[in-house]
Amino acid sequence: MRAMDELFNEAQRQLNICNSCRYCEGYCAVFPALERRTVLEADDITQLANLCHDCRACFHACMYAPPHEFAVDPPEILSRVRLAGYREYAHPPHPPAWLRGPARLRGRGALATAATGVAAALIVIIALTGGIGALWSHQGPYQVISYPALLVTVLLPTAWSVAVMLRAAARYWHDARGPRAGLPGWAALGKALAYAASLRYQRGRGECSYPGEDPSPARRRLHATVFYGFAACSAATVSAAFMQDIMGIPPPYPLLSVPVITGTAGGLAMIAGCAGLAVLKRHSDPAPAAADYGLLIGLGLLAFTGMLTLLLRATTAYGLVLVAHLATIVVCFAVLPYTRFVHAVYRFLAIVADNTERRRPG
Amino acid sequence: MLIVERAQAPMRGGNTRHTRNIRCVHRRADEFTTGSYPFAELWRDLCGVGAGPGDRRLAELTVRESETVPAWMSAHGVRWQPPLAGTLHLGRTNRFFLGGGKALVNTYHRTAERMGIAVCYGTTVEDLVMAGDRCTGLLTADGVIRARAVVAASGGFEANIAWLRRYWGDAADNYLIRGPRDNDGRVLAALYAHGAARAGEERGFHAVAVDARSPRFDGGIATRLDSIPFGIVVNSAGRRFYDEGEEIWPKRYAIWGRNIAEQPGQIAYSIWDAKVARLFLPPLYPPAQAGSIGALAASLGLDERAVAETVTGFNAAIRPGGTFDPTRLDDCATAGIGPPKSHWAQPIDTPPYYGIAMRPGITFTYLGVAVTPQARVLHTDGRALRNVFAAGEIMSGNILSTGYLAGFGLTIGTVWGRIAGAAAARHARNG
Repeated sequence: MRAMDELFNEAQRQLNICNSCRYCEGYCAVFPALERRTVLEADDITQLANLCHDCRACFHACMYAPPHEFAVDPPEILSRVRLAGYREYAHPPHPPAWLRGPARLRGRGALATAATGVAAALIVIIALTGGIGALWSHQGPYQVISYPALLVTVLLPTAWSVAVMLRAAARYWHDARGPRAGLPGWAALGKALAYAASLRYQRGRGECSYPGEDPSPARRRLHATVFYGFAACSAATVSAAFMQDIMGIPPPYPLLSVPVITGTAGGLAMIAGCAGLAVLKRHSDPAPAAADYGLLIGLGLLAFTGMLTLLLRATTAYGLVLVAHLATIVVCFAVLPYTRFVHAVYRFLAIVADNTERRRPG
Repeated sequence: MLIVERAQAPMRGGNTRHTRNIRCVHRRADEFTTGSYPFAELWRDLCGVGAGPGDRRLAELTVRESETVPAWMSAHGVRWQPPLAGTLHLGRTNRFFLGGGKALVNTYHRTAERMGIAVCYGTTVEDLVMAGDRCTGLLTADGVIRARAVVAASGGFEANIAWLRRYWGDAADNYLIRGPRDNDGRVLAALYAHGAARAGEERGFHAVAVDARSPRFDGGIATRLDSIPFGIVVNSAGRRFYDEGEEIWPKRYAIWGRNIAEQPGQIAYSIWDAKVARLFLPPLYPPAQAGSIGALAASLGLDERAVAETVTGFNAAIRPGGTFDPTRLDDCATAGIGPPKSHWAQPIDTPPYYGIAMRPGITFTYLGVAVTPQARVLHTDGRALRNVFAAGEIMSGNILSTGYLAGFGLTIGTVWGRIAGAAAARHARNG
């Protein structure tokens, strides 16, 4: 707890300087939100931290940034507060034991170990239900693994993660808006969706100063590439389910079908976007408070294994590739609430809270 | 072309890094200003500051040229924002650039880099190498940088405490300097040594009341205090000495820097109570706080009885029936007390009580070099140096000699930077 106090005290010190200066008011929502508060409690700082999209415009504009003795660096301190919040709001606080790997590895390679375990389990299930020969089938996914087994495999980790994140979201909303806060209104939600979809607060009223001091749209565009790539992949899944369950057309689907086109475009976009963001992160100056490539690697792997299932679907390798893709899905989806993925949850709620607060100050 | 910059890159740009808006003539409202600000009005505002313009011809030129400045700034990459919170009274006359002065300096440097202009960081100009009335180069620690024309844009001498002591004596030791420590007037002194003529007042400076705990140098905007009109100000003897309700922001800033500079020990204490505690910009450092005036005085190191007497006398002198309104010159005033508090006078009677020690924070000095309308530096013999030009605070004493008009320092800097730059470029090309 002492470390947390130090973190919040430091954030309070820096933000108090910001509040006495106010030059950055025009960049994003963080500074107007700061100015509405004369006293900064820990919950306020967490809310400001999640409003911050780390565009760094304020850092480069700050005459009090290091080497000045005031050493003001809002994006840095706010990113540390954000990370502390991710840990605080996740309940249970740690991913399930099977994702943490053997204790002696201390988490290193835990996810790879878990994915291997899941893949092995899937192979056993396949062997027990359809016979080991099903692994070499290339007549569509259900020749490899039965539909109910596939559904359970994917839905279990998804449901778990959604539950953990919903609980975290409820706690965050409670802290950000106070114990008597009702649910957000539709107008605030809609506006927040539009802001989030366009990454409004990453523009800093122009463009993001990332990776260097020069304003550049690179990060915003790459983020959009990953985000809309992910959305396209989800659309591929939904459209495939529609074709199968409503229209009664079983997979595999032709190259010029909605699932294959959206899946391909989405998968390629995710791979390119994740790779691009990782390169930007490597070159960012100043370096992020805690560089974490986990989410980018995970999303990249999801897309990559997904693309492989498409490319190799007519070969005998299809079954094994499908198992690999499913194992990646299981592990990535199960660990989701403990990765940077949750930024989407908190940032979205922070924007909703900010929009609500602006309409009705106090 | 080469920029010789005393500071390293993060601290470049001198006092400009602390600016936030610019005051220019404009004919109509636009996205970032709320109304027109004609030539005649800016001229009138300028004449109302201190003793008025030093050199009327140069001052008029500055105001006239200011009209084309915003478009020029936009063309060089500068972006704008609506007036900052708490600065609505400047929304018509002053135009705020996005992110403040350091963002402005960064933008100019990016533009300069695109134009292929190099910068020598961390390089101090020790002296000008002169051959008669021509400058042939600049002397630095790494040797002489040869030049066909030179623009001195190196600011005033406000960070040179020894120089300030010549005019202010020991009091200078108690001044805080709001800009970088590098603003020591070295180039200004070198120009004087080569016979440059003076412009501006020796004791001319712009100063505001800043938190006494602020850093000695480079504290900038965050250190200034906004509490003065909401309470009273006492000196080290615990006595009031000036009308705290005389003027609305921003003129009061300029008044109070000098007021405090004239008090014993160059220190004064702003005191207010819980009623008004949230009505002004939060101070940078937490104020002293106590349940009684006596305890507050003690924690500020003041005589408890003297401060308590001052507060009792002040509270008793408040005319009843006023309506407190911090957004305008209201009708809350004192009667039969000297000095009076002519606006926003409310009894200091609601604990907890708050207090902060204040010092004069010097923003810049006005003493500089005299120039021609082409920004050429004048010699004391009345002739101009052939290829030495000046822009910004180093020549602002031609235009303002005392007092201050918010945002006009940058107007002087930008207008004269353009004039000097163009004249120097013409001279370098044509010889």
